[in-house]
Amino acid sequence: MGLNHRTAPVEVREKVAFESSLLADSLKRVCSLPSIQEGVIVSTCNRVEVIVAASDGETAARELKGFLAEQEYPEGHGGLDSHLYTYTADAAVRHLFRVAASLDSMVVGEPQILGQIKDYYFAAHEAGTVGTILHRLFHRSFTVAKRVRTETGIASRAVSVSSVAVDLARRIFDRLDDKTVMLIGAGKMGGLVARHLQGSGVSSLMVTNRTFERAVELAAEFRGNPIRFEDYPRYLTLADLIIGCTSAPEMLLERESVERVLKERKRKAMFFIDLGDRRNFDPRIHELDNAYLYNLDDLEGVARENLKGRKAEVHKAEEIVGEEVTAFLRWLESLDQVPTIIALRQRLEEIRKREMEKSLGTGLKELSERQREALEDMTAAMINKILHAPITHLKRQGRDEDEAVYIEALKKLFDLGEK
Amino acid sequence: MEVTLLKVTVVVYLLATASFIVYVVLLKEFFARLSPLILLGGFIIHTSALAVHFIQTGYPAIMQFREALSFYTWLMVGIYLLVQLKYRLAVLGCFIGPLAFIMSLAAFAFAAGREEIPPALKTYWLPLHVTLAFLGNAVFALAFGVSLMYLLQEYQLKSKKMPSLYERFPSLETLDRLNYLFLVWGFPLMTLGIITGSMWAGVHWGKYWSWDPRQISSAVTWLLYGTLLQGRIAAGWHGKKAAVLTIVGFAVVLGYFLWGDYLFPSRHGGRFE
Repeated sequence: MGLNHRTAPVEVREKVAFESSLLADSLKRVCSLPSIQEGVIVSTCNRVEVIVAASDGETAARELKGFLAEQEYPEGHGGLDSHLYTYTADAAVRHLFRVAASLDSMVVGEPQILGQIKDYYFAAHEAGTVGTILHRLFHRSFTVAKRVRTETGIASRAVSVSSVAVDLARRIFDRLDDKTVMLIGAGKMGGLVARHLQGSGVSSLMVTNRTFERAVELAAEFRGNPIRFEDYPRYLTLADLIIGCTSAPEMLLERESVERVLKERKRKAMFFIDLGDRRNFDPRIHELDNAYLYNLDDLEGVARENLKGRKAEVHKAEEIVGEEVTAFLRWLESLDQVPTIIALRQRLEEIRKREMEKSLGTGLKELSERQREALEDMTAAMINKILHAPITHLKRQGRDEDEAVYIEALKKLFDLGEK
Repeated sequence: MEVTLLKVTVVVYLLATASFIVYVVLLKEFFARLSPLILLGGFIIHTSALAVHFIQTGYPAIMQFREALSFYTWLMVGIYLLVQLKYRLAVLGCFIGPLAFIMSLAAFAFAAGREEIPPALKTYWLPLHVTLAFLGNAVFALAFGVSLMYLLQEYQLKSKKMPSLYERFPSLETLDRLNYLFLVWGFPLMTLGIITGSMWAGVHWGKYWSWDPRQISSAVTWLLYGTLLQGRIAAGWHGKKAAVLTIVGFAVVLGYFLWGDYLFPSRHGGRFE
């Protein structure tokens, strides 16, 4: 049960969210509810969810609603009920798998959600509110997420401006760690892209700005080299990636000057990233061989296309989720058979013991100790032989849909009803 | 025996091609590893076919056109496998795989010529010449592959359209470096091929240079690749220009290899009529 970015506005989500310092306490409170055996709370900025294992779905749902109602709630957003969704049984399993695989995320395929779910699972594990079922459920969800990531293209495409820029740089350049970036201007976007490039291995960075002090500041921030604004054209031959992020009204670089620089560089490729408010670089630079110019619109365009591509991969991912849900439910059902098998064994053992005692007390009184032992062994072996076939059958049947029917039949035939 | 082995080779090359295509379409890492292995399997069978020929006739299988084509395919696949070992370029296999399949199949389309070899030709200048010339050409075939990939990748970056099919292409820088590498290896091999060829001509035709169409076309491609290599080293030509020139050069070589003898009858060539 929970709410997410689709069902509730951010004001509601941030109020209902669980505070991390109180998480362990909240988990214990969930599990103290009479109908609930196991529980995990997931509380991120986009979703607040309580995942529980309970034998009776309806009662559990009622109690959980009461539990969530104890959370803070902002005024003027209708009742909490109107934002809540509740899934039970297979729908609940499917939901968790989809969330872990980032199919339910605001940006489909974003990788953070899996880490968050893992964190919340381990928190619940520490608090001791995870049992057999949720343990298995969450570990399966991690596997599903991994399968979706490796078997579909859902996470392989860059969808933010800075990751698209890095992606493009990798198409042009073999490796980034021997490349030099020149950052012109102090715009926020430029810094973001520069940081992303550094994160991808770029080690050499030059920073320039109209006021030199600002350049020095920025250089310190990025651990790069500051360059005076009037000097930067001379350093261009050294730069492989040039990020323009100034608010200058006039163009910084013309096609002709870049052509000269390229000649000096022996036509080694240059990648221009124009993030300025107005054009920082002459668009005709892109026409030059070995020079590539992308502006903010271009990068956003690629990101949008990639996002579309991600969506196309979603149905593949949904299939994987479907498979895994079926597999999990099969396991859940097989849990049922274990107690039945034990009960059946116990029932037969009781019968054997009773009959042995009866016989040993009457007709077989004269048997020696050794003969008694032999008889013990023989009857025990008989029980095992009789049980062998049905148990193997039942275990193999575990994959079948009418498994439940068999279990029911056994319970009825041998009078194994819950005691 | 030899023919059966060659037929099996064609089928295995087809399998490798299919596997490479599956790789490009689905982008599954598994196929990137599997496809070169299938190709390697084909290469081994191909090698045994050539070995059988050598043992049976005592001479390499290069005398007839169909044999030459098959031998050339064998060298090309072999070099690709070596490159794959070092650079892990399964995408390049997507060019080499189909090429190997088509050429080994085409070898069957050409009629088998007379079996016996004119005694005048039975010297070891000839296999040496053919091997070196073909090695050079096979390396240029790989240069052609990476150049084509370069142009595709470059076109995408320039047009700012990014279909996912080319997502696994290596970077422009890598492709350009490979182009250079293949050129540096291919050019000396080709030069040696031409020298040994003219030695052979000197021995058998009495003249090292006789303005034969094949000799002229070799000289033209030699000059073309030579200019390209010199341009790369001295003038810093690279990227698109180098890629286009490599493709043109290979088209000339391949075109002449396949049809040259029909257009310009030459004393050289796969048929001895």
